[in-house]
Amino acid sequence: MVSARTGRVLLLFLALTAPCVAAAQDVAVTTEADITVGRSTADDVRAAGTQLRAFGTLPREWRFYAEASWADQWGEKSDAFGSAYPYNHRVRPVEIYVERTSTSPHSLWGTRVGRYRAPFGLYNRSDHAYTGFLRAPLIRYGGYWALSNNFLETGASVVAGTPRLYGEVSLGIPQDEDDLHRARGFDRVGRVQASVGDVIVGASYIHTQPFKEQFWAHGDTEFSGVDARWMRGGVQLRGEWIDGHPFAGTKTFGGYADLMVHRQFMGPVTAVLRAERLDYEAGPFSSYPRRYTAGAKVRLSSMLVAHVNVLHEPPYDHDAAETALDVALTFSLRR
Amino acid sequence: MKKIARVALALAVVLALAGPHAVAAPEIDALTGHAVAGGKPMADVVVWLDAPSAPRPRERRFVVHQRNMEFSPRVLAAPVGSTVDLPNNDRVFHNVFSFTNGKPFDLGLYPTGASKHITLDRAAINRLYCNIHPHMAAYIVAVDSPYYATSDRTGSFSIADVPAGRYTYHAWRSGAETLSATVLVGDGQPLEISW
Repeated sequence: MVSARTGRVLLLFLALTAPCVAAAQDVAVTTEADITVGRSTADDVRAAGTQLRAFGTLPREWRFYAEASWADQWGEKSDAFGSAYPYNHRVRPVEIYVERTSTSPHSLWGTRVGRYRAPFGLYNRSDHAYTGFLRAPLIRYGGYWALSNNFLETGASVVAGTPRLYGEVSLGIPQDEDDLHRARGFDRVGRVQASVGDVIVGASYIHTQPFKEQFWAHGDTEFSGVDARWMRGGVQLRGEWIDGHPFAGTKTFGGYADLMVHRQFMGPVTAVLRAERLDYEAGPFSSYPRRYTAGAKVRLSSMLVAHVNVLHEPPYDHDAAETALDVALTFSLRR
Repeated sequence: MKKIARVALALAVVLALAGPHAVAAPEIDALTGHAVAGGKPMADVVVWLDAPSAPRPRERRFVVHQRNMEFSPRVLAAPVGSTVDLPNNDRVFHNVFSFTNGKPFDLGLYPTGASKHITLDRAAINRLYCNIHPHMAAYIVAVDSPYYATSDRTGSFSIADVPAGRYTYHAWRSGAETLSATVLVGDGQPLEISW
């Protein structure tokens, strides 16, 4: 079992030795750094974060990926800017894995070993960040009794099928780096994905453990979900619907629909819209938040991206309606 | 008999007049050269010759991979009419688009193993990006000529099978002004391109 400390040591080792390995064995290594600063008018949250990543190719068609993150927030506890990385003022290794993928028009297979995000629903790195939204969907944020984007698995996953229809299975143990950590146990995650023309659909299942910090949470955590996406001419519509229980005696379900528009006349601007809901049913502790987001991602240059999101939450339970403005600037470097 | 003699004479005259032009093929040569910028060899320089009377370039199929969060090759030269496949060889989605003066397109997100393609319907410099990964960028230079080449790491390039003669050439590289001048193909002199 790989502890968090071992993971950090491994990441540091990778970062330090990667250039030497590259020189010695002609291994291709690319390094990237993203630095983000942001501010939200909700609870006067300010945030700063950075991600360092190294990835590249190894002999025999293997590839590696290693990513570390540091981020912090000031102000009230909030999900602002927490779309894909923990904000807890510590340097954390995030994903560290090696993988091998083989593709042809009629076959696809691959394997991934290490620590990686749980392959459930729209989990892809292309989905959980950089797409114009500064907050994870309610149903993908651990703080809302849902299926967190930050669920990390240490184990192995296998992908098999064709580019148009494939399945992915992951077996591993939870190893989260967020403020909340799932209890030890054996995780099973499965996903099938099919694409026809402009449409991609998927169905996923995860069986894992509840957060151990929540001492009252017993039993297992189990979620199922379906997702779909349609794209044409710079317009993308995507969404997920997830249903399950975060621990025994409760039920969480909800989903979101995103619209992203990037047409030629918009130049560097990608406009985004999101509507979402989450229902957490736990007797007197139940909550039913709804949220609507409009925003834009503006690619100022190859190194600088600005994000603007306006969020509105209608009143529910005893909470008043709330409207917030989130803005962020991301500076990226690649070598 | 007289008639046959007249026909034979006419044929002989025709052959005598047309023979040298019909039989002698134009001299074919290769244009080689070297591209530098600031005195340093430049890779990924695209060089092409204006040849409006040349046979229409053969339409071909090219590939620009998305692999390891990069486009490969980063610069592709291809004749107008060609098709370029853009397979995704990464385990993440990519979203290739180009809004530059060439052929505007946005291919949308597509998953690992999947491929989409574009057809180059006019001469232009097409700049490709991924809407997800801001560091991914590439150029597809669509040329209206069968005579083109891209320089290698040493700055060297070679355009094969060019009929000897004088041509206007163009040399393009990322971030610089496109150079144009004339060159004589067939005199054995390499073309030196310098920014």
